[in-house]
Amino acid sequence: MPRKRGSKYAAFFLLPALIMLAVFVIYPVGRTAYISFFDENGTFVGLKNYSKVLTSREIIDLSGFSRGFPLGALVHNIIWIAIHLPLTIILGLSLAVLLKGVKGGSVIKSIVFLGMVMPMIVGGVMINFMFDRNLGIVNAFLGLFGFQAKSWTVYPDSALLSLIFGSVWLWTGFSVILYSAGLETIPKDYYEAAELDGAGPWKTFTKITIPLLKPITVVVATMTLLWELKIFDIVYVTTAGGPGGASNVMALQMYICAFRALDFNRAAVVAVILTLFTLLVSIPLVRSVRDDKR
Amino acid sequence: MIKKLTFLVLLVAAMSLATTLTVIGPWAGTEMDKFVPVLNEFTKQTGIDIEYKIYRAEDLVNVLPAQFLSKKAPGDVIFMWANFIREYGKKGHIMPLGNVINSEEYLPGALNAVTVNGELYGSAYTGKVKPGFWYRKSFFSEHGLKVPTSWDEFVGLLEKLKNMPNLNAPIASGNGVGWPLSDVTEHFLATFGGPKLTYDLIEGNILWDSYTVRNGLEKLASLISKGYFGEPTEWTMALQQWWAGDYALYFMGSWITGMVDDPNDLGVFALPGAKGVVFGADYAFVPKYTKYPDEAKRLIAWLCGREGQTVQVSQGGHVATVKGIDLANYPPVDREIAKIIQGVTALPDLDDTIGGEFQTTFWDQLKLLWVSPDRLDDVINVIQEKAPRR
Repeated sequence: MPRKRGSKYAAFFLLPALIMLAVFVIYPVGRTAYISFFDENGTFVGLKNYSKVLTSREIIDLSGFSRGFPLGALVHNIIWIAIHLPLTIILGLSLAVLLKGVKGGSVIKSIVFLGMVMPMIVGGVMINFMFDRNLGIVNAFLGLFGFQAKSWTVYPDSALLSLIFGSVWLWTGFSVILYSAGLETIPKDYYEAAELDGAGPWKTFTKITIPLLKPITVVVATMTLLWELKIFDIVYVTTAGGPGGASNVMALQMYICAFRALDFNRAAVVAVILTLFTLLVSIPLVRSVRDDKR
Repeated sequence: MIKKLTFLVLLVAAMSLATTLTVIGPWAGTEMDKFVPVLNEFTKQTGIDIEYKIYRAEDLVNVLPAQFLSKKAPGDVIFMWANFIREYGKKGHIMPLGNVINSEEYLPGALNAVTVNGELYGSAYTGKVKPGFWYRKSFFSEHGLKVPTSWDEFVGLLEKLKNMPNLNAPIASGNGVGWPLSDVTEHFLATFGGPKLTYDLIEGNILWDSYTVRNGLEKLASLISKGYFGEPTEWTMALQQWWAGDYALYFMGSWITGMVDDPNDLGVFALPGAKGVVFGADYAFVPKYTKYPDEAKRLIAWLCGREGQTVQVSQGGHVATVKGIDLANYPPVDREIAKIIQGVTALPDLDDTIGGEFQTTFWDQLKLLWVSPDRLDDVINVIQEKAPRR
């Protein structure tokens, strides 16, 4: 009986949040999906908008595979994930492990975390400077090895990669902090037992640290994936998706459709595709954690 | 006590009834400093207060559509792209101005960009000319260089400049959103295709892969591939580098006169044979949802009329779109620029007039052309996809 009354109260207290959620999340999402099936005159067009968007060179440009960038916003997002995700995880884990228990390690972690604290718009401006011909640290470094200086973000072959590597610097702080917290939760007994059994540092790392950090890895991977899929500000500020669409991404394409072409139906299609793609890659990760818990 | 209270009530009532118009424009910094005196003059003459807010057109385009749908507007007079004014004028979100603006008082064609089916939805304020390649007179005299009078002389000048050891490249390339590169390109198109080509491209009467367009673009691409244009650099930084002598030439609009230390050291020449120069006007409109429609119309008529434009051109860096402004009102350096458009056809800005997705694509593809001139065919194809077609 008390449980039932409690659930009544729960519903009462949840109501404001549910209303907010319905108004500001569920309705806009539903409305976006709805208008993606209509043209600008409000006529139902079925999947025509989807066909138009998915066959446009802005989304997938197959000729780019023989010619070079651009390859299309969707492919660029996939490349972003393929490079950025493993680098973020490996760098984050490595730094967390290396800095654990090191004197001044927390200071270094704080410095690494600065990239996360910074607004991404500012991060984009910083990336522009980093890869600039005259001012950039990248050219200063490469110059030591005899490379000729250039503005990496203005060339089609290097624009996207510059953004990706620049964004690794901005996002790695997130994984470092999470892995550092995760490392603290692993009981010392495990390491001591492994040492007694004669396990070396590598074996300890691969057989104890990595498996026990799996839930953290899933969180890092999921959050990083979501960040990579909705990446917009860095690209908008640094290259605006150029040159020639060579660094365009899905979120930017959605913006271009909505606010430059003023075609909200096409923008809705890109938004729906992006959402489906996000679900497609994040659900398996979340499931794997749930299965582990069971 | 009662007297005090009455005074207070009256004061509050008067304050709440006072009209304050909000003007939204893109100008900040020194450009804003030159615009504010115009607004102050209006307030002085009419007693209507004005609040000025800075919004770039790129930001306004994100804000206005949603505001219009909820029947609201962030300002009473708003400066915006001509294509946006046309688009939202047609949709009924912008007040027609035919009864307050007399189009015959303006330079021929100045209001075409904001006119839809004979209905005027905006007005032209002052504008900026994009006359050609700017150079420092002191640099040219120091190196014994002359202003070219033919295409061969122009290429010869570039070759001479390219061989100078201290220059990054002969011509600075402004980067950023994309308009600096499109300004150069439009100049090449108008020079090699004639002034009519600009109008044909705006109206979609000609294809981008036609001989005429391709000819102009190939001329440009050939100069890029020979290394006569520098690597695209953020345009204000490129301006500083050009002024410091890292580049000899810089294609810019007339606003450059207000951005250099010594405007008297500035010289400018168009591509030899150019019969038209781009004259980019700033356009303003009154949203349908203004609280003060009469005052807003009065303001836009005054701003875009002779009185407002006279105050603005006297501040420097602007050229009037309304007829009948005495050249004596211009600072000396702008007077020369105002004279330039008297001898040639004043052309509308191609990408600003078309706007929308075409503009974004055009800018972006030119960035590609600047670093990969060998991909001219790709560039033309993509631009053609987004270009207007009749």
